[in-house]
Amino acid sequence: MQKKQHFPDHQWSGFKKLLLVMKLTTFLLFLSVMGMAANTYAQGTRFDLNVKNATVIQVFDEIERVTEFGFLFKTDQMDLSKHYTLDIKDANIENILDEVLSKDQYSYNLIDKNIVITKVNVNTIQDEKSVKVSGKVTDQGGLPIPGATVVVKGTTTGVVTDSNGTYSLSNIPANATLQFSFVGMKTQDIKVGNQTVINVVIEESSIGIEEVVAVGYGVQRKSDLAGSVGIADADQILKYSSFSALQALKGKVAGVNIFTNSGNPSGNTRVIIRGVNSINTSSNPLYVVDGVQMSDFQFVNPNDIERVEVLKDASAAAIYGARGANGVILVTTKRGSGEGQGTTVSYNGWVSLGVLAKKVDLMDSNEFMQMQDIGFANFSKYSQSKNSAGLTVDRSDPLLFDAQGNPLYNTDWQDEATRDVISHNHQFSIQQQSKGSSVGAFLNYTDQEGIMLNSYMKRLNGKITYDADPTPWLSTGINLMVNHVWANDLDETGGGQTARRTMWEMPPIIPVRFPDGSWSNSQFTGNKLNVGLEAMSNPVHELTTRKMNRYKTKIFGNTSLTFHILEGLDFKTQMGLDANLNTDKNFSPNDLINISSPNGSANISTYDSYFWQEESFLTYMKVSNKHRINALAGMSWSQQTVATSNTGTVSGFATNFFGYDNLGAGTIPSAPSSDWNRWAMNSYFVRGSYTYNDKYLATVTARVDGSSRFGLNNHYGFFPSAALGWVISNENFLKDKSWLNSLKLHTSYGRTGSSEISVYSTLATINSGTVLMNGTRGASTYVDRLANPDLKWEKTDQFDFGFNLSMLDRRINLDLDYYYKLTSDLLLARPIPYITGFSSVIDNIGEVSNRGIDILLTTTNVKARNFTWESTVNINYNTNRIEKLGANNEDILTNPGFVGGNVILRVGESLSSFYGYRRLGIWGSSEAAEAAKVGAVPGQAKRSTEREILGKGLPNWTGSFINTFNYKNWDFTVDLQFVAGVDTWQLYMHSMEDRSGIANGFSTILYNGWTENNQNTMVQQIRQQNYSGQDSQADSHWVSDGSYIRGNLIQLGYTFDNNTLTRFGLKKLRGYASVSNAFLIDSKDFKGYDPEATSNNDQFGQNIFFYQYPRPRTFTFGVNLSF
Amino acid sequence: MKQILYYGLLSLSLIGLNSCNGFLKEEPRSQISASQFYATPADATSAVNNLYKSGFPSFYDAGSAYMGPTVMYGGYISGLFDNQYKGQEKFVQDCQNLAIDPVVDNGNLLSIWQNCYVAIGRANNAIKYIPTTPDLSTAEASKLVSEARFFRALNYFHLVKMFGGVPLIVEPYEAIENLYIEKSSEADVYNLVVTDLISAIEQGGLTDAPMPKNGFRISKGSVSALLADVYLNISGYPLNAGKYAEAATVAKSLINNSAYSLIANGSTPEESAYNVLRTSDIQNEYLYVIEYNSTISNGGWRPTFCFPNEAATWGEFTYSISNNAYRPVAQILSAYDKTNDLRAQEKQYFHTKYTFTKGNRKGETITFSDVTPYFWFEPEALYSTNISQKDQTHYRLSEMYLIAAEAVAQTTGVNAESAGYLATIKARASMNKTKEEITTELLALTKDEFIKEVWKEKIRELIFENKIWNDITRTRMYPTTSNGVFTFVPIIGAQNPWGKTFAVKNLLLPFPNEEIQRNPKLIQNTGY
Repeated sequence: MQKKQHFPDHQWSGFKKLLLVMKLTTFLLFLSVMGMAANTYAQGTRFDLNVKNATVIQVFDEIERVTEFGFLFKTDQMDLSKHYTLDIKDANIENILDEVLSKDQYSYNLIDKNIVITKVNVNTIQDEKSVKVSGKVTDQGGLPIPGATVVVKGTTTGVVTDSNGTYSLSNIPANATLQFSFVGMKTQDIKVGNQTVINVVIEESSIGIEEVVAVGYGVQRKSDLAGSVGIADADQILKYSSFSALQALKGKVAGVNIFTNSGNPSGNTRVIIRGVNSINTSSNPLYVVDGVQMSDFQFVNPNDIERVEVLKDASAAAIYGARGANGVILVTTKRGSGEGQGTTVSYNGWVSLGVLAKKVDLMDSNEFMQMQDIGFANFSKYSQSKNSAGLTVDRSDPLLFDAQGNPLYNTDWQDEATRDVISHNHQFSIQQQSKGSSVGAFLNYTDQEGIMLNSYMKRLNGKITYDADPTPWLSTGINLMVNHVWANDLDETGGGQTARRTMWEMPPIIPVRFPDGSWSNSQFTGNKLNVGLEAMSNPVHELTTRKMNRYKTKIFGNTSLTFHILEGLDFKTQMGLDANLNTDKNFSPNDLINISSPNGSANISTYDSYFWQEESFLTYMKVSNKHRINALAGMSWSQQTVATSNTGTVSGFATNFFGYDNLGAGTIPSAPSSDWNRWAMNSYFVRGSYTYNDKYLATVTARVDGSSRFGLNNHYGFFPSAALGWVISNENFLKDKSWLNSLKLHTSYGRTGSSEISVYSTLATINSGTVLMNGTRGASTYVDRLANPDLKWEKTDQFDFGFNLSMLDRRINLDLDYYYKLTSDLLLARPIPYITGFSSVIDNIGEVSNRGIDILLTTTNVKARNFTWESTVNINYNTNRIEKLGANNEDILTNPGFVGGNVILRVGESLSSFYGYRRLGIWGSSEAAEAAKVGAVPGQAKRSTEREILGKGLPNWTGSFINTFNYKNWDFTVDLQFVAGVDTWQLYMHSMEDRSGIANGFSTILYNGWTENNQNTMVQQIRQQNYSGQDSQADSHWVSDGSYIRGNLIQLGYTFDNNTLTRFGLKKLRGYASVSNAFLIDSKDFKGYDPEATSNNDQFGQNIFFYQYPRPRTFTFGVNLSF
Repeated sequence: MKQILYYGLLSLSLIGLNSCNGFLKEEPRSQISASQFYATPADATSAVNNLYKSGFPSFYDAGSAYMGPTVMYGGYISGLFDNQYKGQEKFVQDCQNLAIDPVVDNGNLLSIWQNCYVAIGRANNAIKYIPTTPDLSTAEASKLVSEARFFRALNYFHLVKMFGGVPLIVEPYEAIENLYIEKSSEADVYNLVVTDLISAIEQGGLTDAPMPKNGFRISKGSVSALLADVYLNISGYPLNAGKYAEAATVAKSLINNSAYSLIANGSTPEESAYNVLRTSDIQNEYLYVIEYNSTISNGGWRPTFCFPNEAATWGEFTYSISNNAYRPVAQILSAYDKTNDLRAQEKQYFHTKYTFTKGNRKGETITFSDVTPYFWFEPEALYSTNISQKDQTHYRLSEMYLIAAEAVAQTTGVNAESAGYLATIKARASMNKTKEEITTELLALTKDEFIKEVWKEKIRELIFENKIWNDITRTRMYPTTSNGVFTFVPIIGAQNPWGKTFAVKNLLLPFPNEEIQRNPKLIQNTGY
């Protein structure tokens, strides 16, 4: 606490006054907390004071200069005309104040080093019989309230309570009434009468400083909340200097699991709230931004976000009915108000350096050749071909080897394909609030470079808000955001030889370019190397010449009108839109082997979606005595249309000159395509919340949703919920427990839905295309699915029970929730016998459950004058289980179907379970006969005969441990994030270890591979795949523990104090430096960059991947500035 | 003012409650609802067109460099064809180990099962609705229905050969009911196949011409070829239905029809009948072909099956991967008379050497480790376009000669007629004997010897045309070598080249595990 803040120069006295009026009590509350340390300064400190002809303020300034005291007073109560000349030696503060302040006019109160001065109005009391009254002011929990105002009603005479909540007033008339007040509390009047000690318990008032929480179509006091809502604010989000708000949310809200599956700037982020509910439909939560449902949320500018609320349980989410089952993320964006009256201009910016965080251990040139030699030596053991016996590696190619046969090059492809990158972000905002209206304008530019060559994502984002209250009965608001993102992506799916794979597999003996300047590849013409390299374009060549450009434009906004009909009764109508215009342009040149040679390829596709919604609702809020009512009723219409088009992949380009800009130059076109679809919803919803005596809470919600996506027979669904809360700490038996600040138990039960089936799923439709008929395209049609007019939404029934505990002066806060979710009527591609000619019909069959615990523990570990240490632990434990499947509980095998590996859906197991063979070891020399029975020889993998479940990709434990330290103006954050109880399936082991000779691989094959002398290993013997084949099946050897601890963020910040800032005309200035992804601790069996990844974007594929885009370590420097 | 507000709100909520009825109605634009289909003759044609690339015909699509297309499964199952990438293709290993398992190999089994039934379902739909399509002439309708019947029969024939008796579905599924169906007997399945084909021949009004000369649509010749093959198969195991005479009749109807003729050898080895077969899409010998071209439907990785996998690194070819994916093993190659059989010569059906065409190894010739198919060698695809365009023949007139030879021998013995048919085929491949000389030799054989010679000739003539497993299962005789000499032995108890012994269960595939799970009425084949 800086005293200067409260004693500005004269010219700021107006501000000082305001400060006093507005914030005195808050300030005193804070002081009293700070004053937990012993208050011995006032007594112990002696000093000299020497002023000549000074005003009282100059006197105080001088005291403050030579001591650590600070003063609080109202300038209009001080006699500023009086001048003092003082020369006092070795006095304590009380001596001096007695000298300066006329005792009959002023009283003062010492709270730690702060002195509060109040004027005593002598005139009103001089004729009355005077008494002295003292006492203590406490809250309902029995805690003292420092800084409460005690005045003699009808006068200006009064005092404020000290740090112990006590006060003392003398010379007041016996017939007086004392008025006790404190911000956020109900004011109480008490007649003095004969009392000399008056102790007062003051209660919270219905409106006040209490935190409010957005709950969908409105707000609720946090203390009245019976449902489960997680919160993150702008400061938490912006600390992370990330392109995407979702990445910044990671680890901030218990139960919200955010998977950053790639280091690619345009890579996907996956959000799962309280486990995956669904098998076939999306597990993404519903995003509602300023009341409007939004798609593609990950591209939204995080700097625009003021606050995020996550509706987790049924009570909170059921107001969104058929779209609420995956949880709802409510986002409130910044507006014109919020920074006080007047105009505030802010700039937030950062610049960051990204580097490759880890390199994997690949064979270098010498190791690679050594592996080849061993592979050739093992020919006769594995090969049935006679001709290969005795063959040796041909080292005569002068492009690769010197005269002695030593490799000329030792290329580190990980280094070559990646780079250190600089990214930056700039956010300008202008916020102006005046009486009756406010306006905000926000502009953002972000340039994020990816560490793999040529990958980037950039964003230009503008947002304007205007809020006005033109008449007493009408409030209006408008919000418009335009966001344009452009990026160069790279291939992150599939098994092809693209950069993220070839940066590991490209042999180190090959240079990036040959001496003549031409790009290398693994199969250059005339190559004499007889090892049979698999076809690979070199990753540098690919990354620098291939284009996968993405253009996304989002226009998003809403207008609202709120009619204040009666006291507490409002009618709000809001129209919102979300338009997304996306164009993908791809080009791959004609010289990338195994990608697009010899014909090249290009295509352009568009995806345009238009969504609008109209929602109108009545809200009613009523507080009377012990009853508090908050009610809502409304209706909603929404519609989305999506139009897509694709030119089809055009190839046959004679030149790479045109890229994708002249598709007509390609001689081999393919059929173009386009598609259009629409869905619409019409909904009605109500909510009622009731609080009795701040102890008993109840909330009931219900929504009826009609969706065009549902079958004719089931257009409308009903989604109710109910929640109860009990604030036990307000009961008499706990009221007096001084260690307890608050304790609330709450429970809820309700139903939400998921309507995320593809459009027209209920209809049998004819698929139309073309087939080759006599050299030309003949029309071709077939019925592509069975009709199911009974199709309806998935429903999730969720039970939640939890408590919010705050204790020890609110230094320990614990929120704990247990939940059980059962999703039934799963919209499942119900397997039907293939004899029908169809493989499945979309039907409501199957059940999945999720149960778990969310824990959020925030503690203030140290709270000293200059130093605080706060910790947040947030943990989600979740178990996922498939309860029923199909008509006969059939297993369903899904992606990736790669060399015997699948994800299996099986009753009793978690979603994302890995299904493959178990590797029991390597066949030993003594087991030759046994091995022969399965067609193997010693040195090959010994596997189980049947496939089994080898692990699962969805974690049981996710969470974070965030520590914030504040020392004077410095702040320091250490954010650790962890995941446990999860596995990772490293499909790249197929070509990195089980298959050798035709590409580079892990050095483990060379050092841990089976030999006669090293039989106790899990790594197969080196065999040259090209001549001796391979033995590669997706098995348990490829599965590693997927748990990790990540140094998510380490940040050091410095906030300049206001006094310094005001000299420069600034309001706020903070600078910081941080490291994100600072370190990663993972399983020793995990060989890749990061165990959290996926090669599939569907929900089955978590933690199963072939190769991955490495995640960078990022060093950031940033500044937040406003004036 | 407030009154205006109230009235405004009231009317707004009334609008809300009476919201437009059509708001939640689905009206697809880019798809047609099934109920609106079969409205024009074009609808009928397009529904039948689809069958040309659904189910069995699609088994020729070579979508992967690593695994041979589904039509090659029979070869893998026989153990007589190997795949260089079998280390990652477990199905090939399981075939060779006679260890095909309904669970482990579910995916490969499904690729046959599912696709055949998809085509059958679509054919059922066409057969049901085409006759009632408005404005469609009766003649055109019966022609289209006949094409659909051909494809239904083709898919059922493949199913019954691979799996034995299967559920017989003859009506399209249009609602979620009647899902669980027991398997029918093999006889019932064949009954439907024969009925469909006879109907197509007799009522179809199909053109009697080689398929390439019928606009690549199913001709009477295509249907007859399939019917002849079906008759031949049901005359053998397991039905032993005694239809050799019918097989002979149908096969001879093609042999004796001047619209169809065998390709004649040209004057150079490059112009041999077999190289014409490799390079030409339009010949009077072709009865049923699967069409490919560059822009609409290409043949995928097939040309790369002509080279061992190290060839991919030579820098010679546009394809980045090569794989000897369908390598005939030594014992089947021993069927050829290496000195006298044209087909066994370099660059006819096979090749073993390659001469570099460019780079610093230009002119250098290397010899492969193994004999490798030349049958799918497409220079344009390999050297410049990367796109395989060659059509694939499933029935050729030469097979009809062999069917006729065997069927006539079975009914009337070894005589001029049966010997003549076989000699025609042998003579075309003979480098030093005339047809007459060969006929004379053949007439000296016993009936049993003659029939085995037909089988052997079928291996030599159609080695890459995927007939081997059908012939092994209908004859229950397995081609092998005894002291280096080619011979046939009873399949039960025979050892495959990988040292595994055939049992009765190996004659049929198991139903895929997924289908067993989905259809509780489907009883798994014995032994699995």
